[in-house]
Amino acid sequence: MIENPCILTDVTKCIGCEQCVVACKKINDLPANGAPPRPGSTPDGLSADRWTTVIRKPDNHFVRKQCRHCLEPACVSVCPVGAMQKTPEGPVIYDKKICLGCRYCMMACPYGIPHYEWDSPNPSVRKCILCYPSLKAGKIDKPACVAACPTQATIFGTRDEMLAEARKRLRAEPSKYVQKVWGENQVGGTSVLYVSDISLDFLAWGDGRELSDKPLPPLTWAVLKAVPFEFVGMGVIMGSLYWIIERRRKLMDEKAAACTSGEDNHGQ
Amino acid sequence: MDNRRLFLFKGLMWILAGLAAAVAIVRFSLGLGVSTALSDTTPWGLWIGFDVMGGVALAAGGFVMAAVVHIFHRDRYHAAARPAILTAFLGYGAVAVGLLFDLGLPWNIWHATIYWNIHSALFEVAWCVMLYLTVLALEVTPTILERTPFQKTYRFFVKLALPIMILGIMLSTLHQSSLGTMLLIMPFRVHPLWYSHLLPELFFVSAICLGIVMVMVESTVTSWLYRREPEMEMLAGLARLASIALACYFVMKMGDLLRQGKLAMVFDGSWLANLFIAEMLLSTVIPMVLLALPAVRRSFTGMWSLACCSVLGFVLDRINASGLSQVWATRRFYFPAWTEFAISLGIVAACVLVFFFIQERFPVDPHGLAQVEAERKALEAAPPAFAPFAQVWLGEGWRKAAKVYSFLFVLALAFGLTAAPKAEPVVNTRAVRAVGASILQIGPGPRYVYFDHKKHQDEAGGSKSCALCHHLHQKGDVGTPCVVCHENMFLRTSIFNHEAHVADLHGNASCVQCHGKSEPIRVAPAKKCSQCHDKDMMAANPVVKVFDSKWAPSYKDAMHKMCIPCHVEKAKDAALKLPNLGRCGACHDSGTQAEKAYTAEFPEKTAAGERS
Ligand code: SF4
Ligand code: SF4
Ligand code: SF4
Repeated sequence: MIENPCILTDVTKCIGCEQCVVACKKINDLPANGAPPRPGSTPDGLSADRWTTVIRKPDNHFVRKQCRHCLEPACVSVCPVGAMQKTPEGPVIYDKKICLGCRYCMMACPYGIPHYEWDSPNPSVRKCILCYPSLKAGKIDKPACVAACPTQATIFGTRDEMLAEARKRLRAEPSKYVQKVWGENQVGGTSVLYVSDISLDFLAWGDGRELSDKPLPPLTWAVLKAVPFEFVGMGVIMGSLYWIIERRRKLMDEKAAACTSGEDNHGQ
Repeated sequence: MDNRRLFLFKGLMWILAGLAAAVAIVRFSLGLGVSTALSDTTPWGLWIGFDVMGGVALAAGGFVMAAVVHIFHRDRYHAAARPAILTAFLGYGAVAVGLLFDLGLPWNIWHATIYWNIHSALFEVAWCVMLYLTVLALEVTPTILERTPFQKTYRFFVKLALPIMILGIMLSTLHQSSLGTMLLIMPFRVHPLWYSHLLPELFFVSAICLGIVMVMVESTVTSWLYRREPEMEMLAGLARLASIALACYFVMKMGDLLRQGKLAMVFDGSWLANLFIAEMLLSTVIPMVLLALPAVRRSFTGMWSLACCSVLGFVLDRINASGLSQVWATRRFYFPAWTEFAISLGIVAACVLVFFFIQERFPVDPHGLAQVEAERKALEAAPPAFAPFAQVWLGEGWRKAAKVYSFLFVLALAFGLTAAPKAEPVVNTRAVRAVGASILQIGPGPRYVYFDHKKHQDEAGGSKSCALCHHLHQKGDVGTPCVVCHENMFLRTSIFNHEAHVADLHGNASCVQCHGKSEPIRVAPAKKCSQCHDKDMMAANPVVKVFDSKWAPSYKDAMHKMCIPCHVEKAKDAALKLPNLGRCGACHDSGTQAEKAYTAEFPEKTAAGERS
């Protein structure tokens, strides 16, 4: 399997046929007739048994949505038990055997990718895994969704190749594309890139307003790495405070005792 | 035990606990889907916002009082320390139970001990809560042992108390702030008014405030329930402490907003900004200002109500930060299901009951215990006096009360079990293969239609037209229902999606784009699909539909044309010996509305059908 596998999707080439969706369902053995989406969830078409979807935007723009396989994935960093994992090659996968079901990964993903099997009493978190098991076993040489695309709107290669290809397209037709590779830098870079003629910020929560190019996990780590010091520091402060206050009280008691005994002596 | 207040309060707690027990059965047997209103967009709801985030903060009284009494030696608060620590213990117990309800795979909760991800704030919270629960258990033990024969063990635990207290304070500092750290990774979800890099510090300071006001609430409520003299001096002292702590929090919070340049955002009038103002007023500003007044600190009601007000405000803060404020980003509103409320309240109720149980039997608060014991002794010694009201409602003594309570519990449980939501299975359309076509079963009942797939495919434009009906983007991924094209029972319909085109082309002004300038506007001169969709007609899809004056027959005709010829033919087949196949009643149950309407409309056909 190649290092840093990456998918590049060209929104201008997608015709919205959803062959990728069907292929993904097939290779991952997902039911064709899944449960209807949960009421109150964003109607983008993703669900626990639909890991990629095509979002329809006005003027015949079709935007495929799937896990971005972030270079520094928030979902992996927040999982308390490490059930979400970044594989050495790059894809972000999930291990049901370890998961607690806390759904922190779902909260932390800036794109709202992980979905939950709400109707099961033994639920899993589900999302695109970049066909990792099949790619790794060498059963396929590109993800099923990429292989299924009739217009090559979505292509596969190493991240460097895909970035080069994206830049080439932007250069070749500067008037057609927005001059930006989505996923190049956002949240520290992702392994699913897009070029497009419309803005794709809507793929992230809050229309991408609060997303910077800085990766997300360091936001937590900046605080967490101080935890041992905080812990010991608080112990030392509390311990010494106790000692000081206790000593002062003792001294005061002794003084009081001395005074009273002194007075007693005097009296005699 | 002529204390109606206490009796009614306990009764209410038993009812809530019973209801929660019923909902618990549903939650664990059918999953989170039926028992909550959570969704993929709002994966954390009331159970995290209130039970976990709020619960941990509410139980902060334990470490605050431990520090005040045992480290700073403020001895006049001694009476509050034991109840506060007991509350903290029960509170953390409640958090753990609440978490079990919320986790999708609660039986894996122990995984946190063997699988480590030190980069996760939740991992740290999990460990701290686990350790702190143990510490609290050790802190509570002396209370339980004090009046038992195990005096040696008791003295051992008393000696252990100080290091344990300090350990507890250390752990609390960490996880109270780590609850804030948990939100740091979501700048894109948490509303800017709540999001700050100082969230851990803010959570820690507000936990201290909440700890103090919570001890006030607890002390006032127990003295009210047990009809005891409130400990005014201690309460006034706590009120002063609270006022100072709240002022610190207020300065921090405002300073933080100022630093980030978000102060103007507070007054922008949006509902979230107003929510923020309400939260700050309730939790901080009002109690801070009023509790600073000596007159208020002399009034039992004043202190009681202000403490409650502050508690409410801080719980609201936790709920806002961990959920409600995120509506800003997700644009999806979540309101908890009643079952979620039932569980949350039930857990609190169960904790309150355990608190009463321990408080009435062990020296949590020696005055209280003495009073309760005296009452019980008096009651059991005294000959039953005639007290009609008491006998009907209260029973005499605890034995009768216990009976009433368990009755209430079972009653609530039974009610809950009937009212609890049940999982609805997802019904899939089942297709049964028949010769050349399919018989589709529609819905759960015995309703079948004959569906010629090939004919539909050919008419819709061949092998590339699948998406026309099987748009996978539809709810539940089902195929388009028949009525979408065969819209009218008796009239044929165009399968061209006119509305979608008008909408896409920006309204009425666009008519001429397709229909030309001819007056009146008619179908005939309109453009063909291919005139606009020259490139992207590769496959028909839900947006682009094939239109070359394609008309779908009326629903009735579609069915009849497909069914009747074959039926009539088979009825003639003597070998089959099924002469009735051609009768309307073969499909339309005789006597149904459909058959009556049909026979009334076409008497001659019906007769023909019967003859064949
Ligand atoms: S897009 Fe979301 S789920 Fe996918 S790797 Fe990034 S953070 Fe994780
Ligand atoms: S739900 Fe599972 S995978 Fe997601 S963060 Fe929690 S334990 Fe990890
Ligand atoms: S990469 Fe594989 S798992 Fe992901 S969307 Fe494509 S087919 Fe589905």
